[in-house]
Amino acid sequence: MPSNPSIVTPDVVRRIAELARLRLPESELPRWTEQLSRIVGHIDLLTQIPEEAFGTPPPEPPTPLRLDAPEPGHGDDALRANAPRELHGYGAVPRVVGSGG
Amino acid sequence: MTVASSHPAPGVLETAEAVSSGRRTAVAAAEEALARIAEGDGRLRAFLEVTPEAALAEARAVDARVATGETLPLAGVTVAMKDNMWVEGRKTGCASRILEGFRPPGDSTVAARLRAAGAVFVGRANMDEFAMGSSTENSAYQTTRNPWDLERVAGGSSGGSAAAVAARFVPAGFGSDTGGSIRQPAACCGVVGFKPTYGRVSRYGLVAFASSLDQIGPMARSVGDAARLYRVIAGVDPRDSTSADVAVGDPEGALGRGVNGLRVGFLREAEEEGLEREVAVSLDDARRIFRDAGAQIVSVSVPRTTVSISIYYVVASAEASSNLARFDGVRYGPRKSDADVASLYVETRTAGFGPEVKRRILLGTFALASGYYEAYYGAAMRARGLLREDFDRAFREADVIVCPSIPGPAFRVGEKTDDPLTMYLSDVFTVPASLAGLPAISVPSGLTASRLPLGIQVMGPRFGEEAVFAAARAYEQGAGFPDDLPPASAG
Repeated sequence: MPSNPSIVTPDVVRRIAELARLRLPESELPRWTEQLSRIVGHIDLLTQIPEEAFGTPPPEPPTPLRLDAPEPGHGDDALRANAPRELHGYGAVPRVVGSGG
Repeated sequence: MTVASSHPAPGVLETAEAVSSGRRTAVAAAEEALARIAEGDGRLRAFLEVTPEAALAEARAVDARVATGETLPLAGVTVAMKDNMWVEGRKTGCASRILEGFRPPGDSTVAARLRAAGAVFVGRANMDEFAMGSSTENSAYQTTRNPWDLERVAGGSSGGSAAAVAARFVPAGFGSDTGGSIRQPAACCGVVGFKPTYGRVSRYGLVAFASSLDQIGPMARSVGDAARLYRVIAGVDPRDSTSADVAVGDPEGALGRGVNGLRVGFLREAEEEGLEREVAVSLDDARRIFRDAGAQIVSVSVPRTTVSISIYYVVASAEASSNLARFDGVRYGPRKSDADVASLYVETRTAGFGPEVKRRILLGTFALASGYYEAYYGAAMRARGLLREDFDRAFREADVIVCPSIPGPAFRVGEKTDDPLTMYLSDVFTVPASLAGLPAISVPSGLTASRLPLGIQVMGPRFGEEAVFAAARAYEQGAGFPDDLPPASAG
């Protein structure tokens, strides 16, 4: 059960939805708040781990990097297959920045 | 008499041997798989799309290669690929509206390796949208039914692949496992499901959900079949910088090694979980089977398994909220607004994602937001470090660790859809190995009194796949899961 049920309020849900670029209808807000609050309440089990349990974490192993050299890709045809429209050999998409078309 | 009930449905090794030796053609194997799907998938809904023409063309190509004397470890083996892995010439949709119509530019590394080995892709298997779920009920298109009982879920998120293998549509399925998405549906459907060590299999061409957890693995009807499928896809790939340059070894050779003298650790925290009676019985049986096979039985403790669901839902959701930011209507997805760029993002994402994906994105955004980051994401990452240390200690006392795969048999369709937290808790036994990056396999442990499958899980240390396969094979031989055809798969 949530140890601190007030953390997830409708205002918080509204704010994180905005950050996540999602629109939640006001009528659904209580339901989202209740569900997320229950989940966050369960996650709060983490706070029961005593601070002294945490030592110095071991360093993460380094990420192996491949040689920074050009390699053949899938080709223009494969990329154009997903374009909604082709124009002068490029994929054409509607304008999304600035006004006008 | 139907196709499904009149043929014995050969497994992976049997098919590869028959096609390689010329006793059977890949085309005949593909035709039979397609016939089984046509006959039975109207009930199960394991496939989002079946691609007969492409499958038969691939099968003809395999037959031509066999005719020239090529040796192919998966000659003519038909495969159900989860809908989040690229296969050239097919769509990849993650069972999501937002990827509708997306055609990948080529094969994922796994698909390329399977193709080179002689496998034939028959279709896109259903899944929970973006692999988020434990039942396939979060697919934007359909719910896959369990071949043992059509009123029950197949598990998830790789439920389509698991059901297709269990119903004998195909001998091989592939899934991705972020918190149990191969092992949990495999257990629910009564098949073997294997998640390799994190970094063992390339994720190139796998649509990312949670990048520090995602791993691709096979599903099959036997441990031996799973070992063959795993051997083909394992190994370093320059196209995935997280794939590890560690020798794959000989997983198939390890199958005959037995468990004599092997220290098999039973997970104490799982036994203290308050197991359902039939799950507890299957665990006792497993202890007896390993002991009879010569293993040394020990009890091991991994204390932070008790908080693994909490860690998982912070870490996986945080990574998902970041990975799924790319789906915005510009690069992918049907555009839902052209008013301005902000509304394009919001309207496309709101219309394109289903409720569970939105829930994970919201949860992840919350855990990463200023003011909550340290209390949630920071705390989860630190606890994840402790869990890994717990496993390191446990593997000093045991060579493999055993616990149930699932807390109970497959639940009824709709039973948990209104209660996301309860749904999340169904992954309680599979999430720990994911968080620690360990190899883990689910092997069928038999049927409950109501004839529903359960599974036993064997976990190994990182890159300890050989010990996992040796133990799993010994358990499989002792458990003797009946080779019955699930009732709902036949016509």
